[in-house]
Amino acid sequence: MFEEASEVFDNMFKSSFPLTFIVFIPAVLILVSPLPAEAAHEFTVYRMQQYDLQGQPYGTRNAILNTEARTVEAEVLSRRCVIMRLVDFSYERYQKALRQSAGAVVIILPKNMSTMPQDIVQQFMELEPEMLATETIVPVYFALEDEELLSIYTQTLTSSSSQGSSSAAEVLIHTATANGFQMVTSGAQSKAVSDWAITSLEGRLAGTGGEDLPTIVLVAHYDSFGVAPWLSYGADSNGSGVSMLLELARLFSRLYTYKRTHAGYNLLFFVSGGGKFNYQGTKRWLEDNLDHTDSSLLQDNVAFVLCLDTLGNGDSLHLHVSKPPKEGTAQYALLKELETVASSQYPEVKFSMVHKKINLADDTLAWEHERFGIRRLPAFTLSHLNSHREVQRSSIMDVRSVSPSSEHGAGEPPAGPHVDLRKLSRNTKLIAESLARVIYNLTEKVKICRQMQEEQLSSVVDWLTAQPRAAQLVDKDSSVVSTLEYHLGRYLKDVRRHYVKADKRDPEFVFYDQLKQTMNAYRVKPAIFDLLLAFCIAAYLGVIYLAIQFGLLGYLRGYQCPVSTFGSVEVNETPFLVSHWF
Amino acid sequence: MTLFHFGNCFALAYFPYFITYKCSGLSEYNAFWRCVQAGATYLFVQLCKMLFLATFFPTWEGGAGVYDFVGEFMKATVDLADLLGLHLVMSRNAGKGEYKIMVAAMGWATAELVMSRYILFLYLSLFTFISFDWKYIQMSFDSNISLVHYIAMAAVVWMFTRYDLPKSFRLPVTVLLGLCVYKAFLMELFVHVFLLGSWTALLVKAVLTGSISLCSLFLFVTLVHSN
Repeated sequence: MFEEASEVFDNMFKSSFPLTFIVFIPAVLILVSPLPAEAAHEFTVYRMQQYDLQGQPYGTRNAILNTEARTVEAEVLSRRCVIMRLVDFSYERYQKALRQSAGAVVIILPKNMSTMPQDIVQQFMELEPEMLATETIVPVYFALEDEELLSIYTQTLTSSSSQGSSSAAEVLIHTATANGFQMVTSGAQSKAVSDWAITSLEGRLAGTGGEDLPTIVLVAHYDSFGVAPWLSYGADSNGSGVSMLLELARLFSRLYTYKRTHAGYNLLFFVSGGGKFNYQGTKRWLEDNLDHTDSSLLQDNVAFVLCLDTLGNGDSLHLHVSKPPKEGTAQYALLKELETVASSQYPEVKFSMVHKKINLADDTLAWEHERFGIRRLPAFTLSHLNSHREVQRSSIMDVRSVSPSSEHGAGEPPAGPHVDLRKLSRNTKLIAESLARVIYNLTEKVKICRQMQEEQLSSVVDWLTAQPRAAQLVDKDSSVVSTLEYHLGRYLKDVRRHYVKADKRDPEFVFYDQLKQTMNAYRVKPAIFDLLLAFCIAAYLGVIYLAIQFGLLGYLRGYQCPVSTFGSVEVNETPFLVSHWF
Repeated sequence: MTLFHFGNCFALAYFPYFITYKCSGLSEYNAFWRCVQAGATYLFVQLCKMLFLATFFPTWEGGAGVYDFVGEFMKATVDLADLLGLHLVMSRNAGKGEYKIMVAAMGWATAELVMSRYILFLYLSLFTFISFDWKYIQMSFDSNISLVHYIAMAAVVWMFTRYDLPKSFRLPVTVLLGLCVYKAFLMELFVHVFLLGSWTALLVKAVLTGSISLCSLFLFVTLVHSN
């Protein structure tokens, strides 16, 4: 048969050119036309944090994966992608996957966090810092759940849990019907981002009445932190602080417009970036202002620095100090006013002072005021949290998510940390009152702040929590920064940006990219299945051959004349339809 | 699809053709070149059909769910060109009836197999990573069914053009001819109306083709025997 074929092609190429043309052109066209690749499911995944802080690496080091999916119940986990749901997540399972050197871990989070029960949320929040504490080469991804992903998970679960259990027949049937999944990410390996600039913003309101006025500094950091940068919305920590800062800026700018209420204090507002990474923005700002400038508001008379951190919830207020304020200072005055206002006007608020010395041996500083304290500026932080080690300061569960629609239980508070608008506005009023009494040196019980705009607070918090604000995601062109700049510019003067870039030789922080990827899940069948299929096809072909050979030809032969010849072909004794297999 | 799976599908699609070629003794009569010529005619006829469809049947901008019966019927009528093509091939080949039918049908079906399945499968297995899907096995089965269908179609065309066809055979042969041409249309109709699954549709197609081919085989044998 092959000699015939070669002869045919010789003829084809020598003669009839149009025929060759017609034969080959469609073939070539079909061959080069691009076909789209088809996956069982394509979804977005968010990688766990990866960063270096002061030379210490944290988080996962790897980004690419191309492995088969399994769940934790399977026996063999090495070089496989382990899928877990949040409800089944526990630290032992996570450790098990890491110990067996899994290829990757994918954790499926529910779309609406508020449907999760309280204890699961709490457990996950406590595990987040532990997951980040050690660096791991296994890429860890988070995905939001949808129907297809859930079906992929249940199929993988059934196939993983039935491994090594049942008889040979069951295993055979199982391989024929089961679906395996191959998880592939499309991005490249992660590498360090060079020249990342963390942006901070400052603005001021100048006091009246001469030179050398004392300055009050109000600080809040705007970035958020969580186990996955793209999922950290930071509603309470520190969206509440930023919105309160903007509201105070608005209030005092109104008061300072009128000569009667223009006080003798300079007000300096600072929205700092890189707060969750050991307050990088504040640190560099202080260095620039104190070391490299000749005259700055910070160098002269600073009354105190008030840092706002996580004030959107809770019924307690703590003033964290590194040194208890001495009597007669402005710091002390504020402390007293806060106590007074809290006890008289807001009795449900429990106010207290927490004294914690600055421990320079720790990896990271506790509160933002410690940066100022190191530079010998009187500073404290207000927060409803008792300790800086509270896990809700750095959790992805910290979301706004009080959904307005009636489907998801309107008005029911979500299980995790969140912002309660009434409490936020109450805290804002409290702090504004106390500040005003210090600034205007009032002694009577006067309510100044009737004009609280709750809608503005609410809309600022909503806007802030609508996008992830991790420090790795907010660069200097980001909309978060420019909108904050615009808002500050409405109320304050001299609004300026301040950039922090890591030092080249000894960087304080290093960020890595490839934090958001597209993952494809391809349906695959095990190798046994291919062999099984080949066997079945061979059987089918055998049946066909026998049918043609003996059935059809026997039937036809019965009707043939014994000798038949053709016209133009060579005379042949054998009838046409007698089979010639070999 | 993996290369092994490609091998499976290719074997499933191609081997029956190979078996048919060998068993029918076509290799005895140096019929390879003639089969290739039949295949080339197939390509030419497909090209003409596509040009005709593109020129005279613009895309219908109707609703998505409604099935355009009349439009699809008209499009299926263009498949009459297949019959003309088969007739052309058979008239160019001198020889006995079975020889002509087998050559035309083998060439035609092999060309369709190569163009629609083989190149596609090869591309998919070598250049892209595709999810496993049962439809590739179904396509291979479908090519087996097409082989039987084309053999039946060629036989019916040959019978239709015989001058010594008895009067009583005229009607059944014409009916079979019509069924052959509109088989694809009928299949789409069934799938649309009864909402058949893919394996069920394949089964229905196999049954339909089997019945057409059995009828034509019976008529053919009766005709040849009576001579």
